[in-house]
Amino acid sequence: MMATTMSVRSTVTARFEQVAREQKKTLAPLSDDLVLLDSGLDSLCLAIIVARLEDALGVDPFSSGKDAEFPVTLGDFIRLYEDAAR
Amino acid sequence: MRNVIVTGGSRGLGLGLARRLTRAGYRVIAIARKETNQLTLAMEEAERAHPGSFHFVPFDLAETAAIAALVKSLRNAHGPIYGLVNNAAVGFDGVLALMPNTQIEQLVRMNTLSPIVLTKYVVRAMMADGGGRIVNVASIVGFTGYSGLSVYGATKASMLGFTRSLAREVGRMGVTVNSIAPGFLDTDMTHGLDDEHRQQIVRRSALRRLPEVDDVAGAVEFLLGDAAKSITGTVLTVDAGNTA
Repeated sequence: MMATTMSVRSTVTARFEQVAREQKKTLAPLSDDLVLLDSGLDSLCLAIIVARLEDALGVDPFSSGKDAEFPVTLGDFIRLYEDAAR
Repeated sequence: MRNVIVTGGSRGLGLGLARRLTRAGYRVIAIARKETNQLTLAMEEAERAHPGSFHFVPFDLAETAAIAALVKSLRNAHGPIYGLVNNAAVGFDGVLALMPNTQIEQLVRMNTLSPIVLTKYVVRAMMADGGGRIVNVASIVGFTGYSGLSVYGATKASMLGFTRSLAREVGRMGVTVNSIAPGFLDTDMTHGLDDEHRQQIVRRSALRRLPEVDDVAGAVEFLLGDAAKSITGTVLTVDAGNTA
């Protein structure tokens, strides 16, 4: 898995920055308690991040069959991926 | 080669679509439950003319829980997906009052639920890859009435509504979403149509004939092509003027 060279956390934050750049959105400073809805990205941007993270990490915590609720904060979001990548 | 997924690509309209798209330079990934003789022949023909242009993946699209893994494996095997043609469908007819509930459920599962779930996973990949084309095969029965086709008509109308709203949702990601509404075609799906009905449809069509599979395939090719880059959220009717 590619997560060996880069931590899950930095992979996730790198995707946030990449998609914000591509979609010309102003990204709020990334911290664990940042509410995703206030990050400057909309739900479509988050969908792209989820798709790209699936390519990068090989996991999609939202397609596990369970109806996982979408996390509220960036910290929750990262934890979901850290748990799934384990 | 641009990859295009064609569901229900083993016979009828789907096979005609797959044939045409391989000739147009796409790499077609046909999805269907079983390989048919016609499909084997078409694949051999495509292999001679355009090597590597025609692939078949056996999969039962009613198994919606397995669709996520299917899309992942297709991307791993073939790379980014440029186009998706949601063509697979079942066409049971019968008066609603007597239609078994299992048949109603099967119609909705195969014609509405399955293409929506497949599109969900494919469009995510398209968004991540920077764009793509989706063509939903609806039917003129989605906006005009035919006795005996109420459930089929409901599923086809659902594709038209799905097309419009999804087009708005993913447009800024460079993905176009359109529908095709064929009239009655001569395929396995319509073999139950008796001659009298057929003649009636022909008589009521402006061009006094039925459209052919290749007419519909040509329209799909157009929507997938560069000439259609500014077309999204609409429906292209190919019915020899039946609903004109």
